[in-house]
Amino acid sequence: MVDLIKVTKTYQPDVTALSEITFSVNRGEKVFLTGRSGAGKTTLLKLISRIEPPTKGLVEIAGMDIARIPRGKLYTLRRKIGMAYQDFKLLPERSVAANIAISMEIVYRKNSFIQKRTRELLEQLGLQSKLNTPAAELSRGEQQRVAIARAVANYPEIILADEPTGNLDAETTQRVMGLFKELQRRDTTLIIATHDPSIYQEQRDRVIRLQHGLQDTSPPVPARPSEAVAQVDTVL
Amino acid sequence: MSLLSAALRHTGRNMANTWKSQLTTLFTVSLSILIFSFFYLAYFNGLLIGQELGDDLRLIVYLDEDPSPPLEEEYRRKIEKFDQVESITFVSRQQAFASFSRQLGDDRDILLDLPPDFLPPSIQVSPIKSLDSLSRIKRFSDYLQTLPGVLRVQYGKEWIERFYSVIQLIKIVVILSGCLLIMTTTFMVAHTIRLTLLSRQKELELLRLVGATNNYIRMPFLLEGGFQGLLGSGLGMGALYLLYRWLLLRFSGSTLFELFPCSFLPPATIALLMMVATLLCALGSFSSTRKTLRF
Repeated sequence: MVDLIKVTKTYQPDVTALSEITFSVNRGEKVFLTGRSGAGKTTLLKLISRIEPPTKGLVEIAGMDIARIPRGKLYTLRRKIGMAYQDFKLLPERSVAANIAISMEIVYRKNSFIQKRTRELLEQLGLQSKLNTPAAELSRGEQQRVAIARAVANYPEIILADEPTGNLDAETTQRVMGLFKELQRRDTTLIIATHDPSIYQEQRDRVIRLQHGLQDTSPPVPARPSEAVAQVDTVL
Repeated sequence: MSLLSAALRHTGRNMANTWKSQLTTLFTVSLSILIFSFFYLAYFNGLLIGQELGDDLRLIVYLDEDPSPPLEEEYRRKIEKFDQVESITFVSRQQAFASFSRQLGDDRDILLDLPPDFLPPSIQVSPIKSLDSLSRIKRFSDYLQTLPGVLRVQYGKEWIERFYSVIQLIKIVVILSGCLLIMTTTFMVAHTIRLTLLSRQKELELLRLVGATNNYIRMPFLLEGGFQGLLGSGLGMGALYLLYRWLLLRFSGSTLFELFPCSFLPPATIALLMMVATLLCALGSFSSTRKTLRF
């Protein structure tokens, strides 16, 4: 579903954010992208959603080289991808419902569908009481959940989540991961960038580690939590 | 939900959020329309007056001799070749005398000592009625003066020339106010839309990121421009009608208004003006979105 072949991203004058990254993610697979801050996780997600172009290499979505998509047709790619941004990108003066509705309005979903889906997501994420609250009045954790809800609302084929649990407590993290699991069952491909080992240690999903823009090819983190923590400490 | 209903919703939201600048733009557009349409109304009524005066308009071409039938035909041919005419009537010396005598009525005795051929023969030319009859009459007169055997061409030269200059002056003002209208509608609307675009930069960026099409993003701004044009021109035309009614009341009973009754712009002209204003505003909006939203 998502293929990256020797992808390099360099920023002017000579800052290499990513170097020769190669991996594939299958349809319906959940992959964790880990690494310390500045490792290149966010950059990688931006390349996949073509917010930024790679300096070198190939990024393919469903077998299509996304660099070849004309600017005027980029919406076809963006509609396949739901992205939860690290900085949330919410409209502060709009209500929670309006923020979530945006991703459904642009594809002209019926109002009844939008309302039902919004309520359903807010319930899953424990925000049902915040439906009409302006986004600016929410805590960071709540804003993060709204950003996740907006990303998944329109059932995209791929979900890219950038530090989706960074501001959440353990219980809410479980809710979010539960939502992702449910989407995975619907054959949605998930790429989750995180530096929080607790959310991937207990999972059997693949972990792609980044270190200073390079893909860390050392053996994968073991399944047992204690070993995983040790492994991460070594990497860090 | 369709593109149109989504765009209408966004347009309503945009206009509500920036209502202060919207009001300024609306006022400017209305005022421009009012100024332009006021002068256009004056021009329109001037043309109507000209047309009314032109109904009685004719040129009298005095000849030195009664023309022979072949010469009459030659005159007729030359006149018709120059311009379209409604009628050409040849008046001989005798016919002129008889007509003059009839006009004098009871005072016709004064003609007793005069020979019946003392009046010159003439040709009475009535140009075809049209809105620009008055402007064409001078050219016609100049041409007729060049025909052989013509002594003099007579028509209400002085008042026609004065009237024509006034109409020309109003025409220039109409053109200038038209330019003002184009500038204000396009530039003001473009400016307002640009302000809206800048204030909503974050939202537009987000819309692009979640996969909105260019049309989805641009349409509300085009509609906004169109609404400003439609509403502004509607208000402007409404204000013009009120002004027109007030002028009629204020000057009712005056000689000028009784001689030449005025009329308001026909519905088709009003619709055309409003359509043009709407299109101009949409154009201003379009240019602004093209410059600011580069996808």
